[in-house]
Amino acid sequence: MRNRHVNAVVIGSGAGGGPAAKELANNGMTVVLFERGDWQAFDEHNDDELCSQRTTVLGNAYGPDQDKHWRVVVDSRGNERIVYPHEGGYNNNAACVGSGTLSYGAMAWRFMPEDFRMKSEYGHVEGSTLEDWPISYDDLEPFYTQAEWEIGVAGADPQNPFVPDRKKPLPMPPFEYNLEGRILFEAAKRKGWHPFPIPMLRNSIPYAGRPACYRMRTCVGFACPVNAKCGTQNTVIPVAMATGNCEVRTRCQVAEIMLDDKGRATGVKYFDRFNKPQIQTADVVVVAGSATETARLLLNSKSKLFPAGAGNNYDWVGRNLQGHAYTAAFGLFDDEVYDDVGPGACIAICDFNHHVDGIVGGGLLANEFIPMPYLYTGTRPPGAAGWGKEHKDFQRNQFKKTIAVMGPFQEIPNFESRVSVDPAVKDFWGIPVARLSGSRHPYDRKGCEMMSARAEEWLLEAGAHFTWQRIGGGPGLSGGQHQAGTCRMGNDKKTSVTNRFGQLHEIDNVFVADGSLVVTNGGFNPALTIMALGFYVGHHIADMWKGTRLKS
Amino acid sequence: MSINRREFLKGLTLAGGSLLFFPACKGNISFWRVLTEEEASLLTAITEQIIPADEDPGATDAGVVNFIDKQLSGFYSGLKDSYRNGLEAFQDYCRKKTGANFEALAWDVQTGLLKDLEANRIDHPYWEENTASRFFSMIRNHTMQGFYGSPRHGGNKNYVSYKMMRIDYPHVIGRNIYTPRSETLNIYQP
Amino acid sequence: MVNIKTFGPLAMLLSILALLILFTGGFYVWWNNASPEKTCVSCHEINHAFNSWNASAHREIGCKECHGTALGNGIHSLKEKSRMVLTHVSNNIHSDDIRLSEEQILQTMNRCRNCHQSEYTKWQSGGHSAHYSAIFLNEAQNSREQLNYDCLRCHGMFYEKTISDLVEPLSVAGPWRLKEPGKALQPAIPCMACHQIHSDGEPLPQPDYSEPKNIFYGRKMSEKSIAFYSRHEKTHFTLKNLPEPVILIHGDTVKTPKDPVYRLCVQCHAPSVWHEAGTADDRTPVGVHEGISCRACHEPHSNNQRNSCDKCHPAISNCNLDVKTMNTSYLSPSSPNNIHFVSCRNCHPDQKLR
Repeated sequence: MRNRHVNAVVIGSGAGGGPAAKELANNGMTVVLFERGDWQAFDEHNDDELCSQRTTVLGNAYGPDQDKHWRVVVDSRGNERIVYPHEGGYNNNAACVGSGTLSYGAMAWRFMPEDFRMKSEYGHVEGSTLEDWPISYDDLEPFYTQAEWEIGVAGADPQNPFVPDRKKPLPMPPFEYNLEGRILFEAAKRKGWHPFPIPMLRNSIPYAGRPACYRMRTCVGFACPVNAKCGTQNTVIPVAMATGNCEVRTRCQVAEIMLDDKGRATGVKYFDRFNKPQIQTADVVVVAGSATETARLLLNSKSKLFPAGAGNNYDWVGRNLQGHAYTAAFGLFDDEVYDDVGPGACIAICDFNHHVDGIVGGGLLANEFIPMPYLYTGTRPPGAAGWGKEHKDFQRNQFKKTIAVMGPFQEIPNFESRVSVDPAVKDFWGIPVARLSGSRHPYDRKGCEMMSARAEEWLLEAGAHFTWQRIGGGPGLSGGQHQAGTCRMGNDKKTSVTNRFGQLHEIDNVFVADGSLVVTNGGFNPALTIMALGFYVGHHIADMWKGTRLKS
Repeated sequence: MSINRREFLKGLTLAGGSLLFFPACKGNISFWRVLTEEEASLLTAITEQIIPADEDPGATDAGVVNFIDKQLSGFYSGLKDSYRNGLEAFQDYCRKKTGANFEALAWDVQTGLLKDLEANRIDHPYWEENTASRFFSMIRNHTMQGFYGSPRHGGNKNYVSYKMMRIDYPHVIGRNIYTPRSETLNIYQP
Repeated sequence: MVNIKTFGPLAMLLSILALLILFTGGFYVWWNNASPEKTCVSCHEINHAFNSWNASAHREIGCKECHGTALGNGIHSLKEKSRMVLTHVSNNIHSDDIRLSEEQILQTMNRCRNCHQSEYTKWQSGGHSAHYSAIFLNEAQNSREQLNYDCLRCHGMFYEKTISDLVEPLSVAGPWRLKEPGKALQPAIPCMACHQIHSDGEPLPQPDYSEPKNIFYGRKMSEKSIAFYSRHEKTHFTLKNLPEPVILIHGDTVKTPKDPVYRLCVQCHAPSVWHEAGTADDRTPVGVHEGISCRACHEPHSNNQRNSCDKCHPAISNCNLDVKTMNTSYLSPSSPNNIHFVSCRNCHPDQKLR
């Protein structure tokens, strides 16, 4: 049976695709929202640490599964290997309705105005593709607000003096600090820093018909047992479905965007839940599959006019793959600092996000989510025993006396860190797989050293009797769950993939609506920014649709 | 009770068909799914070195080898050969070096041998390219998973590791329906 | 002499089929009647279940008396056993992954009732025998808090699907209905929520009816069967394995009841994550009743607390206090002085009393 023609297909139901689909459906466009995973419930994996999205040694609780998905990773010495979704280096984001937003830690950061103009702010960095965004913070501000209200954010922005201007306050009050938070709050104040409760995409009070968070220790990496965590699967996607205009088509793997001889998209080819090839025609194609999968799909969509993949005639698709160089410090305390109040992370400072002498960019520092016992087996100072009685003693005696402070350093993008498609390796359906290669810019290490040093100072001030640093940003592939940048937006089609509205420079009716658009990734967890971009792109598609129906 | 004919036939076929497998049961009764008794015995000694019993249970009491065995028949089925060949080579090495099986050796001697394995200080043709440490860290990681993960995977019997770390499980946590924290029930305020 | 030619291929097939049915049927009858050592346990998958049963107080009750649907009735049983044989052959699943279905749990309760009539009746008279409809279609609750997965931790813990398969809509707006109407009158907190049948113990001696003095009706049940069923782990936690929570009041640690059964009750009658007395569903006694076991006042199966005051405050006591007429929630549910938390100072703020 042939699928009925629709106005738009949106590929990917995560932080970007969900809001975009909702914007289109709410503006009267018929939408098919494709998701390669399925609807997920808390019940199946519940609080199982070993099969969560944070510790995947026995698989990813919320996908994708290793029987159908794999990638090729090329290391700095040029060695290639096939990597499966539960293995390090795959750069996994969950494959389910809501994607990462089902099981994320749910920090809800706005980027700062400086994050949108990194090159103007700091100048050129040798060997990098550091650039300004074609849009400013003010352009995105209304969409940040929309994300905060339609998906739901709890926080106390006024306590953060570095927070950018906002037109509307947050809809929910902040979360109370746990014991760690209270200890770190006093210490930060003594240092003259500016601590505040982390804004979270979690209900601190009943909101939008869903309950308040009851503060489980198993939060990041897990679905929420009380539905208090706000993802796209329990907010904008149900709203889109309720319009009657949006069908969520799960367990479908989109293989290719179909392009005609005039260089326009006519729809997508995909494999349905029975692995049968299908075609869905549409007037508009919106790609929101994450920085890796979005780039892979465009590169796999070849035609006469686009022999190197859709929108890739200037070889920018898949370039500038970036994530966050996570960097940390750990402190051991004499007394217990653990009160079992989840999710752990609750306090942050933005004192080192910008304007730190000699540093390009920077990043926030926050206390870490509660580590579950297996994860904690890796929390050891350099040189400590990795097994045996000493390791067991540490586990027994220090678990409740450890505080970790960490943060995402804003990576400096470079051209060679990239997603391409592998010439030989194909996935379960025969679609060429993503090939990840390149390395972080060497600058990142310097930024991480600064941040880890500040984190350690914070812990010492808080009374830690023993501290150590784990400095991130070393050479190696970037990406991870915060992957971004592979379809950079810009004003010049020779140095970017989309225009300022997420529309491919070269194909009018193909849009990107996810972290791929990001020019620079901020020193913040990117979920809220990706949501804002989803609303922003969706809003502009709906606008253009009203005028021209996007037909040239 | 009404019985659907298709259901009935399905049940019957399953029952009849499964009888054919019966002879396969003979002599196949082992506690382990994948491991042999010898492998399990060696692995028990190694994992106990990695997490030794003290005032709290160690790897053996927690059922870590049961975890590994269970996963080798499931998620880790691709690692069967790594275990089988690695354990055999390590036992072979121990015998050649000390004249005895690893399990029979004194505690400190065992520790020393594992440290050699971990540091690639091991002279055996099976680990030609310094891959001994990889074998060791595989067992080390799986031991940690079996001891600190959920019992549903076969280890951490009775949540011994959670008790050791004084983490309450099942998690005692009530509904938040009644009142916000600030308006708790009528408890006397001093 | 039988002429082979008259024996057509159809007849041949039919007779083979007949033989097969005869064989299968015979085997089935044997399986159902032979002792568990010869049948159930011949597959090592259920060794664990067998051993724990064999060491339990219920060791004199045969497998199929409780596992009605697994061994008793027809198709369901055939399918189930066949699946066990197949998993046995494929060698993938050990006994730790074989569990009763909710249907079997409820069937088994009928067997519980045969011997534990008194407990069963008390349970039926109390709140813990609430049906699915009373729990999941409760308007006051559903309009205040969206039903969610965590509800199933303490009610419907044996339900095999998830909350969205049970009730719709999952919103605070309602009206709500059960998607499976058949569940409406099923108990949401069955015996096995708090009892593990295969737990260590000794069978109670049968009363000797020839010697009436030996018959003791108020026999004390073993506490070893008391265990909390964790829906997450799909297993029971015995009292020994349940955590002893720290409960706080104004930053101080409350003296929690020494009775180990408290650890079971508090799993569901639990405080908020801050572990402060009286928050969320917590009823840990503080104030004048601090340290008193739940069972001191509540009958364990009916939860009835009537006449509980008399146990400690008999009418003839020296203090001349008639606690039953004091302004507490014992007298009236609307009293501000909850019996679990009341302290002398609630009514006598000036005096240095407890």
